[in-house]
Amino acid sequence: MSWLPLAHALSARQDLPVPAWLFAWGASIVLIVSFFALAAGWRRPRFEQARWRPLAAGLSRAAVSLPVQALCGLAGVFLLGVAVYAALRGTEAPDRNFALTFLFVTVWLGFPFFSAIFGDLFRPFNPWRAVGRATGAAFAAVAGQRPRHLAYPERLGRYPAAAGLVAFVWLEVVYGTSGGVAVGLDPQSAGIAALIYSGYTLAMMALFGVEKWCERGETFSVYFGMFSQLGFLAVRDGRLGVRRPLAAAGSWATVPGSLAVVVASISTTSFDGASEGAFKGGIEWVFDRFADVGFGLDTAARLSDTVFMALCLLGVAGVYLLGVRGMHTVHGAPAFAKLRDGFAHTLIPIALAYLVAHYFSLFVFQEQAQFTYLLSDPLGTGSTDLFGTAGSGIDFTVLSANAIWYVQVGALVAGHVLGLTLAHDRALSYWPDFRDATRSQYWMLAVMVAFTCFGLYLLSVSNA
Amino acid sequence: MSSARKLLLLAAAIAVTAGLAACGNGGGGESDEGTISGKFELTEEAPAAYDGLEGDATLTRADGGTAVKIAVTGLEANTDYMSHLHVGGCQPPLVGGPHFRYDPEGSEEPPNEIHLMFKSNAEGDGEAEATSDREVPAGEAGSVVLHLASEMKMSAFVHEEGHEHPDKIACAELEGPQSETAKAAEEEAEADAEPEVAASAPTIVVRDGEPVGGIEKLEYGAGDQIEFAVESDVAEEIHVHGYDLMKDVPAGGTVAFSFPAEIEGIFEVEMEGQSLQIAELRVNP
Repeated sequence: MSWLPLAHALSARQDLPVPAWLFAWGASIVLIVSFFALAAGWRRPRFEQARWRPLAAGLSRAAVSLPVQALCGLAGVFLLGVAVYAALRGTEAPDRNFALTFLFVTVWLGFPFFSAIFGDLFRPFNPWRAVGRATGAAFAAVAGQRPRHLAYPERLGRYPAAAGLVAFVWLEVVYGTSGGVAVGLDPQSAGIAALIYSGYTLAMMALFGVEKWCERGETFSVYFGMFSQLGFLAVRDGRLGVRRPLAAAGSWATVPGSLAVVVASISTTSFDGASEGAFKGGIEWVFDRFADVGFGLDTAARLSDTVFMALCLLGVAGVYLLGVRGMHTVHGAPAFAKLRDGFAHTLIPIALAYLVAHYFSLFVFQEQAQFTYLLSDPLGTGSTDLFGTAGSGIDFTVLSANAIWYVQVGALVAGHVLGLTLAHDRALSYWPDFRDATRSQYWMLAVMVAFTCFGLYLLSVSNA
Repeated sequence: MSSARKLLLLAAAIAVTAGLAACGNGGGGESDEGTISGKFELTEEAPAAYDGLEGDATLTRADGGTAVKIAVTGLEANTDYMSHLHVGGCQPPLVGGPHFRYDPEGSEEPPNEIHLMFKSNAEGDGEAEATSDREVPAGEAGSVVLHLASEMKMSAFVHEEGHEHPDKIACAELEGPQSETAKAAEEEAEADAEPEVAASAPTIVVRDGEPVGGIEKLEYGAGDQIEFAVESDVAEEIHVHGYDLMKDVPAGGTVAFSFPAEIEGIFEVEMEGQSLQIAELRVNP
């Protein structure tokens, strides 16, 4: 294979592959837990109702009051502005530029991690939503009427967001040719992409309405919103309240295209994890074929990566649909389409587990950079030291390899258990007979075991 | 804090350190208040013209600042010289080790480093003083290394593989109470570093700006001493990521790395200028 020129990647450190003994332990625990789940399944659905109840009146209203919303919105717009400015005007070195770590680590990984616990944290900070709402309010004040919008074609559902998600990761790991680990994009391209996306998003909000577009098409709202369904805080009727964790996920997937969002999440994470390890040989083989045909090195690398990313999408969707087809054969099963959409949310914990397993260490290490030198010297040019931390570095010793392994395997096993829990629960509400419901879950169990073991496998061969 | 109290504390600290040092100090320089010093010794590659060189270097920490003074005789007449404060001791091959920097990731220029530039007089004597308004942390001032300021004259030196900077004339190892622990650690590291130039340590050979035989895989267990050398036919800066070590390698030269495996994970070793990975360093727990 020819030498690909590699620029600086965001992080020049990679996790060690999970050792064979831990792989074996992880896989064994997964199987044991699964059989236990089958034997000890409960008989009545427990997660079909979110059981939302408001927090104390003062707090629950204050938390979502207009000044708080305005403040959060402003913060979001300001931070996006800083990121775009740093991307366009700052250093070309991805690891020294505020923009890349902020967009691809702090935001892209931070919101899923924390939303899965606390609920939808992105909504108040969404910069495009804030701009859209402010514009709408200004329009209403001047024109004396609320802006009118086109009716959103419901058939499209969340497909625009799913496409945006794939595009985002494609840009991050396929288009960016700097290789290395995680983000391969250069700051300049990231800045331009952010501007283009902002223009597109504001246009769509103008067409279909701010909230509608956030629920359906705005990639980040939908993607982070998906994980927030697992969290225990939620706003309803202008009040902040608590709900049963996991329970909100059940109703999330009823919108068309939701399945595509989950599948896109799992498969893009898989691709990123596998491209340096399990798929490396395959990608290089395809790369050589493209290079032989006469494509340039960069183009050939992007094409071969794209092929494998597409294969991941098809593979993940295929395994899930196979499971659904299996469930459909069980006595008393509802329609295929209902099953297909009705179990999509059970993959959210798996998607989260994949994210944690692949990016946990990157997050811990890069956030040290984010809150020290990247904050003090956002452009990375050594021209500012706003908080006196410009000279700090990342302490890579805060996480030992063992700690990272346990978190990785622990996340996958936990995701597996939560996925099984949601699937079992949903089956109980779909099948009138509890025994049929349990029987249908052999299939979902096979799907979950496949995803979890594939996840373990990816970790065990990373960078083999 | 009043300056009188500060002084009192300082005196107490010095008394304690001096007491400790007296037990283990086998010679070396003065142990004044916050002062460390050393005599210049010729390096292995110094040309014969410098055989009569004598001089000393003194580093004084006071009032939160640092002053470094050197005085040298036996130099060439009317010639520009440069010296830097280094972190390491004077043992070859890495005479002095890296330059001292207040901020290890910051600039290579003063005030982040301590540089002393001077011109010798007609008798071949020279002296210089540099001050800094920050205190050099204890144990980080290892030596002062003297070399020519003009690149033109470097060709007069013997080029020998394995020496990072072939232009070093003399080195004064700074000794005193403050550097005792650092010196012990250094000696230990130097003792460990001995085999790094041995044939057993892997050498990554770079030809035409590319690593011969592809990306070299280096594998160690946590706590091991990582040792390898890079031999390159192009001048480059070698960067060990994660550990964030950088060393220059001259065209046709070799640079040796030796450091303890403290961070677990997989790291790139890269030629910084071309952004080309030449080795993969793997540290297992």
